[in-house]
Amino acid sequence: MLSCRGLRKDYVTERGEVAAVAGIDLDVAAGRYTAIIGRSGSGKSSLMAMIGGLSRPSQGQVTVDGTDIWGLCENDLAAFRNRRIGFVFQFASLLPTLRLVDNVALPAMLHRDRARSAIYSRAASLLAQMGLGDHLDAYPSEVSAGEQRRAVIARALINEPALILADEPTSDLDEQTEIEIMDELLAVNRERGTTLILVTHNLALAGQAERIVHIAHGVIVA
Amino acid sequence: MRLLASLALQNLGRRKARSLLLIAAVAVASGVVFTGATLMRSIDQSMAVGFTRLGADMMVVPDGALTNITAALLTVEPTDLVLDQDLFTNAKLAAVGRAAPQKIARVEHSGIGSHHESADLIGFDPALDFTVRPWLVEKLNRDMRPGDVILGAAREAPLGSELLIFGKPHIVYGRLGRTGVGTHERGAFMSFGTLDALAPSVHGHGGGPPAALQKGKVSGFLVELAPGATPLQARFSILSTLKGVKVVTGDSTMSGIRQGLSALLDGIMALMVLMFASTALMVSVLFSAIVTERRGELGLLKAIGARRGQVVGMMVTEAVIATGAGGALGVVLGILVMRLYERSLVYWLENVGVPFLWLDTPRMIAVAAGAIVLASTIGALGALYPAWRASRRDPYDLVRGEG
Ligand SMILES: Nc1ncnc2c1ncn2[C@@H]1O[C@H](COP(=O)(O)OP(=O)(O)OP(=O)(O)O)[C@@H](O)[C@H]1O
Ligand SMILES: [Mg+2]
Repeated sequence: MLSCRGLRKDYVTERGEVAAVAGIDLDVAAGRYTAIIGRSGSGKSSLMAMIGGLSRPSQGQVTVDGTDIWGLCENDLAAFRNRRIGFVFQFASLLPTLRLVDNVALPAMLHRDRARSAIYSRAASLLAQMGLGDHLDAYPSEVSAGEQRRAVIARALINEPALILADEPTSDLDEQTEIEIMDELLAVNRERGTTLILVTHNLALAGQAERIVHIAHGVIVA
Repeated sequence: MRLLASLALQNLGRRKARSLLLIAAVAVASGVVFTGATLMRSIDQSMAVGFTRLGADMMVVPDGALTNITAALLTVEPTDLVLDQDLFTNAKLAAVGRAAPQKIARVEHSGIGSHHESADLIGFDPALDFTVRPWLVEKLNRDMRPGDVILGAAREAPLGSELLIFGKPHIVYGRLGRTGVGTHERGAFMSFGTLDALAPSVHGHGGGPPAALQKGKVSGFLVELAPGATPLQARFSILSTLKGVKVVTGDSTMSGIRQGLSALLDGIMALMVLMFASTALMVSVLFSAIVTERRGELGLLKAIGARRGQVVGMMVTEAVIATGAGGALGVVLGILVMRLYERSLVYWLENVGVPFLWLDTPRMIAVAAGAIVLASTIGALGALYPAWRASRRDPYDLVRGEG
């Protein structure tokens, strides 16, 4: 379902060009759980951003379900991010002025094809699934970091994406919370058949994956 | 879209102090623009009436004629000396804009007023007149016809009623406002044709009709300067070209007021342009900063699938709400200030001879709407560019906080 060919990302800095991703070919079959590991600065986040339509590759192609996503026009790419991808960032990524339920409903509200009430009831049930049923009306600043991350996962699921990209979703959380959140993601992968690509430092978490991709200096080494 | 509008509104609520400052700054600017525009249009409109009411810049009368200088150069004084009616038409003086001929005869036993009262019969050429009809405060709802007379403010006869002058029926066509000159207020004004028809009934000192009532002769001319010409230039060119005339200038402060007021209006205009420019600048600087501050959130919105138009729309909506509110507040403040200073303003203007008329409500509303639209446009334009630039970037760069 996902195929990357000759993917490169070069950043221009004052000290010259940095090749964050230096030529990656990667294929992921639908419904699989793939873990990406590698040292800090090896290019994992840059790769994820290119796959998720967030960062234009310097070279190469990303094809998702037959669509060359970087060949799409602006609005189609926005729709692709919205419909097909659920992105869970490395850091807090909720809008602070919106309640949790609004944050979760937001992607569906941006490209609206359902009634508002349907969207909101789905947002509420996703939050309830994540154990946040009592915090629908809470603002992000009123809940813990772990709860925020669960809300982000709920938001990633609102449009039933084909691919979830989770970039170290639990690195800043305690071990118990990390396990709980990973369970949620794995449950989505198993029960809904959503393809999951997870970046992690935690080798135990990576060990549960069907495939482990090891990246060093912008290339796949194993 | 309602969601983006409410996001914009919430964003304004996050930095209340900053939003309020922005609103206040826009309110001051749009208040000045609104007040300035209202005053300008009011004064403009008043001046159009006022300056014509001020009458002429100068009078040209036969040399040796007695003159009674009033602030309102409205008519010449009755005299036995006359000038040719086509004096100015033939001379074509560059410094003279308009020259309106008038005939004046002071008569007794005319049937106007009480038996022994004398009254001025004043003839004017409706095609050239610019000093008599601007004073009309009421008139019949039709054009002037032969046999119509306009009465001075002191005459009581109702509009449309029949008035016998030397036994001949005339219709009261209109009435002038108070000019402050007694002879005008008791006079009867009519076209040359109407006055000519009366001439045989009027007896001057020598028994025959007064000289001014002869065909082709007039008592004098009321002169308006050509645009840009000075009274001195006009006086010189009249005296050097026309023989046997005397030039009488009105109260010289009147021309001074005309210039003073237009300088004031120019000042208001310059201030408005300056306010507009500096507000636009401030709003765009502020919104560049706001966009930079919110880069991460904009990136996030893009990452979850917001289209560029939606991201730009949200920022522009935010700006339009703030500046539109500022604009509305400015209009309210402007109205309050004008109400507060209405008395002194109107007093001052009337003091210098400009009757002040407020803009009518529909025009006032139009000016207010204009000020609010202008303010929101400034906001929209100020936010548009930084928002558009940010929206072009990859969401990942925005989220990471890169340049
Ligand atoms: N916008 C940028 N400009 C310049 N260099 C960048 C930029 N983004 C990333 N880099 C560089 O590219 C390399 C890869 O960065 P990336 O964030 O992809 O690594 P990562 O594997 O996700 O690291 P971490 O595990 O710490 O998140 C790093 O050396 C980083 O310094
Ligand atoms: Mg990373």
